[in-house]
Amino acid sequence: MKKMKQPEHFKIRSVETIFGACGFLCLFIFCLISVLAPWLSPHALDTSFFPFLSPSWQHPLGTNDMGYDIFSELLHSSRVSLIIGLVAASISAFIGSLIGIVSGYFRGIMGEMVTGAIDLFLLIPALPLMIILASYLGASIWNIVFVIVLLGWCSTARAVRAKTLKLRELPFIDAMIALDIPVTRILSRHILPNVMEIISAKFVVSVAGAMLSEASLSFLGLGDPTKVSWGTMMHYAFKRGGFANGMWFWYLPPGLCIAVCAMSFVLIGLYFSKRDNGAIPWWQ
Amino acid sequence: MTFFLLKFSRLAISLLFILSLNFLIPRIMPGNPLFTILGPDVVGLSQKEYRELEEEYGLNATLLAQYREYLTKLLHWDLGYSYHHHRPVALLIIDHLTRTLLLLFPSVLISSLLAVIMGMVSGRFSGAAIDVLITLAFLAVYAMPTFLLAMVGLDLFSFRYNLFPLGGLKSPSCTGDLLSCPGDVLLHLVLPVAILSISSAAVKFMVTRNSVIEEKQQDYVLYARAKGISTRAIWLVHILKNASLPLLSLIALHLAFMVSGALLVEIVFSINGMGILIYEAAINRDYPVLQGCFLVLTVIVLGLNTLVDFIYGILDPRVRA
Repeated sequence: MKKMKQPEHFKIRSVETIFGACGFLCLFIFCLISVLAPWLSPHALDTSFFPFLSPSWQHPLGTNDMGYDIFSELLHSSRVSLIIGLVAASISAFIGSLIGIVSGYFRGIMGEMVTGAIDLFLLIPALPLMIILASYLGASIWNIVFVIVLLGWCSTARAVRAKTLKLRELPFIDAMIALDIPVTRILSRHILPNVMEIISAKFVVSVAGAMLSEASLSFLGLGDPTKVSWGTMMHYAFKRGGFANGMWFWYLPPGLCIAVCAMSFVLIGLYFSKRDNGAIPWWQ
Repeated sequence: MTFFLLKFSRLAISLLFILSLNFLIPRIMPGNPLFTILGPDVVGLSQKEYRELEEEYGLNATLLAQYREYLTKLLHWDLGYSYHHHRPVALLIIDHLTRTLLLLFPSVLISSLLAVIMGMVSGRFSGAAIDVLITLAFLAVYAMPTFLLAMVGLDLFSFRYNLFPLGGLKSPSCTGDLLSCPGDVLLHLVLPVAILSISSAAVKFMVTRNSVIEEKQQDYVLYARAKGISTRAIWLVHILKNASLPLLSLIALHLAFMVSGALLVEIVFSINGMGILIYEAAINRDYPVLQGCFLVLTVIVLGLNTLVDFIYGILDPRVRA
């Protein structure tokens, strides 16, 4: 008996699917934690205890130099880290897709200029520029988002442009031009749905990138002092004696949280780019 | 020839863009440009001193005249003056740059080697357990902030097991410059170089693995096998050569990323290089130093990229077409 061919959609039960599922699960847990932080944390953020306590039942991760409970701070910080990552990546994805689609569809001198600009932006060492801008603009969440977006749009734009250039060559676009369908309609109804997979794959990975950038900036002390993120926690652990005194329970948990969150996003990105047959690898 | 001309003109345009960006940043940012150029260390100036400084920095001239002045100064290696350190920025950077390059260049080499070796293994056995394991490990490294890796490495190997020095580039017993005690400097470099190499190998690994998987399905591999060339020779000569070409351009592109990583590793290991210079400048709002560092690092990355583009063009004549 001839074996029935499985539909394409069900065939991707591979390693990537498992990875993606793990990523989704981790992320779900972290989102839950960040929403429920006030109820999950054992102590209020502003209650001060004896400083530099080691982990105990009362303080699962000890207390920091100000006597605040590190575990409670860790739970609350998930909000800032995740929100900055998600918002910065969303804006980058939006700007990147817009530039990518428009410059890919209308080729010629403008397209060349956009490619040149993207190549140039990718060459700029991100951290020094972000440090300059962040220190000029001052420490606030929105400035950090702005600084991340400023360099974050270009990798999405490059991938989306590459795909749009390919789509542009397909006969159905020619047919629509011949039928005199308005350009805005072609772009929004026919090109956009076809590049959506790439945009979503790039988006997920750039959340990881944005979270890591935010962590680096905050680690350098350029984060918003009123909105403590995991990076800020590591900054204090490093600056105020936690690291030098071997208080691993202070600097390690926030670092691992960043890593696990970023890893989850990367794994989901891997799954997305597999679904797109790996046409555009996620790391480019 | 047109290929090289094209690359060269791209370098020129990029350079002009970077210079202009660096020129414009302090002038379009909110706040008084004189204070942003000099930093907050000059607060408390009298009216007269303020006017004089404004005159000296040409801030009351037109933007175009200021730009011309800025370029002229750059041609004389004048990157401004740091009122925080009381030294010209150019001298400060020269002092710190060597240490950063000492960390950066071995790491570029080692991370590329690591990526090629692991990428070949992973690509050869793609889909097998070892491939999944290696890939997962590199993904985890990719997702880890560089400074976390550095802190864990320092905590484990230096604080707890005393295998390596605690930081810096030389022991206090070595009183001369870095060249006077190379063994000591080398020992200090092992851990930071290892950490920067590992943390920057992830992306290179993914690219190598991908291109190995692509290359091993090419017709020339089948032909080589049919001709009777040993599997070893096919992998080590033919596939390795073709799969490492994309890596070459990536190494250059990835330099920008590695510079960021090097700065963070330096700060954790208290290596007094560009990282510490930038870090302290950011804390003290020492803008001339920040901008000078940004300019120098970007120009280095740009120059090396153009160099690699040239080498690539010589090695692979196809891209010259």
